[in-house]
Amino acid sequence: MSVLTPDRVQEVLRKGGSARLDEKVSAQFQAGDQVLTRNINPVGHTRLPRYARDKHGVIDCDHGVFIFPDIHAATGEKTGQHLYSVCFTSAELWGENTKHPDDLVYIDLFESYLLASG
Amino acid sequence: MNGAHDLGGMHGFGPINPEVDEPVFHEEWERRAFAITLAMGSHCKWNLDMSRYARESMEPAEYLSTSYYEHWIHGLELLLLEKGFLTEDEIQQRMSDIAAQEKT
Amino acid sequence: MSKHHHNDPLPDTVLRVKALESLLVEKRLVDPATLDELIETYETKVGPRNGAQVVAKGWTDPAYKQRLLDNATAAIAELGFEGRQGEDMVVLENTDDVHNMVVCTLCSCYPWPVLGLPPVWYKSAPYRARSVIDPRAVLQEFDVELPETTTIRVWDSTAEIRYMVLPQRPAGTENLSEEQLADLVTRDSMIGTGLALDPESKA
Repeated sequence: MSVLTPDRVQEVLRKGGSARLDEKVSAQFQAGDQVLTRNINPVGHTRLPRYARDKHGVIDCDHGVFIFPDIHAATGEKTGQHLYSVCFTSAELWGENTKHPDDLVYIDLFESYLLASG
Repeated sequence: MNGAHDLGGMHGFGPINPEVDEPVFHEEWERRAFAITLAMGSHCKWNLDMSRYARESMEPAEYLSTSYYEHWIHGLELLLLEKGFLTEDEIQQRMSDIAAQEKT
Repeated sequence: MSKHHHNDPLPDTVLRVKALESLLVEKRLVDPATLDELIETYETKVGPRNGAQVVAKGWTDPAYKQRLLDNATAAIAELGFEGRQGEDMVVLENTDDVHNMVVCTLCSCYPWPVLGLPPVWYKSAPYRARSVIDPRAVLQEFDVELPETTTIRVWDSTAEIRYMVLPQRPAGTENLSEEQLADLVTRDSMIGTGLALDPESKA
């Protein structure tokens, strides 16, 4: 890769840079599974927000295999992991006294952020 | 990292105050910050996850009191230095030169 | 990020940006014409009008709407919108029972090909902090009131999936063309902090 010339800008933007990987990786979870997010506190990059650590949720769907950002940021290595949409209730995230306990928050989480539960 | 960027659920920030019909860029420096960040990404010396990490690593009080493109510039500068594209001295010198020029 | 939604930058920021650009151009690491092309693209060519067209087509063409829900990336690309920060799209349909809202609490991830660059409020602390914990208060700030019986789903864009909301089609729009329908689709309605406009309001 090198200097981006103006004539290539549109082509580069159109192509983008999908993080999806065409790799056969077995999925630990599937839609409907109950999971518990890990309590991790890495000093490096992660995309598991603090508000969603050590929380119970349900797999809504498996988005497929994507580049795992924690390692990608640290070393540039592209390791594929299943990325899931995980559904949490407001009550679970914020406590039973939350105003609208049945409102839902969906968070896209990598497999290594999750433990089987339930 | 447990940085200030990890904002979900935090209290105390006040109203959202959306600006009606706001422009894409509010200032010229924002345009430039946006463009040089994207353009330097094409060298593939870093990836998007590294870029995000570079932005996240701002000192919390500074992160919370600066704007989006300031986060971008902080991250870009970190990466440019880390990957050896520029040195701190060069940047400081150029800033002085430009400041001097602008005074005249 | 402070009390003002758009405060002045740190004193040396403007100077720093000028210095960086100057050095990068001098070292031939960036091409000035490329910078202009990038700016022009996102300032004038890519914006919410793209997403509005997607929504309008979804409203008028049931088969297209199904394609949007089954494989949003491909369906959106049918209209020529694709690429950077929209490589893996998911469209979220609002119904009488479900209202969707999109945020990126960790930074400001946003579906650029269909909505352009995000507004300042989307990137700022108040929205990023509150949308996941008190979405109804956020919606009130945007003058959106939903029945208690509606479930709110907030989607935190923590990975590379980019979300776009398909707002409900307003009543009384049966006779409108696709282009007229697109006029009713606001940017906020595709983020989930707004609803599509009533046709009366556009008259």
